[in-house]
Amino acid sequence: MAFLSIQGLTVSYGGKADVLRDVSLDVERGEVIGLIGPSGSGKSTILRTLVGLLKPRAGTVAVDGAKVDYGSRGSLRAARDRFAIVFQQYNLFQNMTALRNVAIAPTLVKKRNRAEVEREARDLLARVGLAEKVDAYPDELSGGQQQRVAIARALALKPDILLLDEVTAALDPELVGEVLDTIRSLQRDGMTMLIVSHEMAFIREVASRVAFLDQGAVVETGPPAEMFDRPQSPRLKEFTSRILRH
Amino acid sequence: MNYSLIYSQVTGHIPYLLGGAVLTLQLAMISFLAGWAIGLLNASILHFGPRAARLAVQAYVTFFINTPLLVQIFFIFFVLPDAGILLSPYAAVAIGMSLNAGAYLTEIQRAGFQSLRREELDAASAMGFSVPQMVWYVIVPHIAKALYPPLSNQFIIQVMTTSIAAIFAVEELTGRAYNVNSLTFRSLEVFSIVAVIYVALTLVCSVALALIGRWLFRVRARIL
Repeated sequence: MAFLSIQGLTVSYGGKADVLRDVSLDVERGEVIGLIGPSGSGKSTILRTLVGLLKPRAGTVAVDGAKVDYGSRGSLRAARDRFAIVFQQYNLFQNMTALRNVAIAPTLVKKRNRAEVEREARDLLARVGLAEKVDAYPDELSGGQQQRVAIARALALKPDILLLDEVTAALDPELVGEVLDTIRSLQRDGMTMLIVSHEMAFIREVASRVAFLDQGAVVETGPPAEMFDRPQSPRLKEFTSRILRH
Repeated sequence: MNYSLIYSQVTGHIPYLLGGAVLTLQLAMISFLAGWAIGLLNASILHFGPRAARLAVQAYVTFFINTPLLVQIFFIFFVLPDAGILLSPYAAVAIGMSLNAGAYLTEIQRAGFQSLRREELDAASAMGFSVPQMVWYVIVPHIAKALYPPLSNQFIIQVMTTSIAAIFAVEELTGRAYNVNSLTFRSLEVFSIVAVIYVALTLVCSVALALIGRWLFRVRARIL
C-alpha cells in the first residue's frame, strides 16, 4: 500500500453538486505531486479536505497504512498529525511574532515543552532564511517572508505530508523565487508534498508526478514531462496548449 | 445671585472624597472585566454556538440594552430578595452594572469576531486548535487591537455610570459627595470639586489605557 492512499474521495458543500468526485491518488514517501487544473477544478479542495477543513462525503484516506478518520472533531486531531497546510494568503496570526507563529501550535495543541519547541522554531526559521526575523510581526515582513514563515509554521507540526495551496499566487513576481527555493530544498530533503500551483515550470521541475483535475475529478496522472509534452486526454491537451502558450 | 464661594469648609473633606473615588474605580473595573468576560462568551456563542444558544444570547442583549440600568439594579436589589437572594447594595450595583456592560460588550466584541480574517481561523483550525484556544489566542488579541478604542470608551462609560450606586447608599465618589453636601450645604463647592475629581479620574484612565494599548497590543492610539 502506498504511503498516502486516497480512495474515492468525494466532497460536496451543503447539498450542492460534488466539488470532488471519486478522487483516488497514491503517493509514495518522498514523492512530490503537482496538482494542476483550471480554477474550480477541486485542487485546493483536496488539500483542505485532507487537513480536515472540509468533511468528505465518501471515500477513505490512509497514511502509512493507518486510516484517517474525519468523522468527529476529536478524531480530526489524528488527521492534523499527518498533514500540515500552507495557504495562498499565508494566514499568519497577525498578533504574533514570526517565532510565536511557528511555535504556538506544537506548544498549544501537542502540549510540547515550550523552550524545546522555540529552539526548533528558531532552527526552522533559519532554514527558510529568516533567522534574523524571529521577532518581527507579519505586518513587518514582505509577502515572500510571510510565506516562508508559514512554511516553517507548517513544518513545526512535523507532518508526514506537506500540503502547499498556491503558495506563490499572492506574491509579487520578484518574491516568488525565494519561496520556490525553500520548497526545492524541502524536496531535496525528502519531504512528501502535494503542491497546487500555477507555476507550471516549477511543477515540471520539482514534481515526480502530476495529477490533472477537471470538474472535481482526476482526469490524468503521470510524470510531468509526459503530461506536459504528450497529454493524452482532450481536456489536458486543451489545458496545456492554453497555459504553455504564455 | 449673591453667593460667596467658601472652599475652606469643604477642603477638609477631600481625602474622604478621594476615598470614594477609589471605590468608584473599583466598581468600574469589576463591572468592566465581568462585562468583558460575559461579552466574550456571548460573542463566541453567537459565532460558534448552536441556534438555541444564539437566540438566548440575543434575548439577553436585547433585554439589557433596551431597559434602563437603574431599573435593572432596582430589580436585582428589591425583587431578588423575594426569591431568597439577598444582596448588599454594593453587590447589587456591581452585578447590575456587569450584566448591563456585558450586553454592550457583546455587541462590541461581536464586531471583532466578524472583522477577523477568516483565513486566520482556517489556519488555527487546520493546526488543530480547539474553539476556546482559537478564541483566546487568535480572536481575543485581534479584538484587543482592532477594537481597542470602543473598548476603552466602554471603560470610561463604566467609570461615569458608577455614580448610580449613590442611589443605593454605596459610598463611592457621588455618594460621598452627597454626604459632604448634607453636612456643609456648600453644594457648588462640593460638586465642583467632585467634577474635577471625575475629570481627573477619566483623564488618568484614558492615558493609562492608551499606554497599555501601546505596550500590550501595539495599538497606535493617541494618548490625549
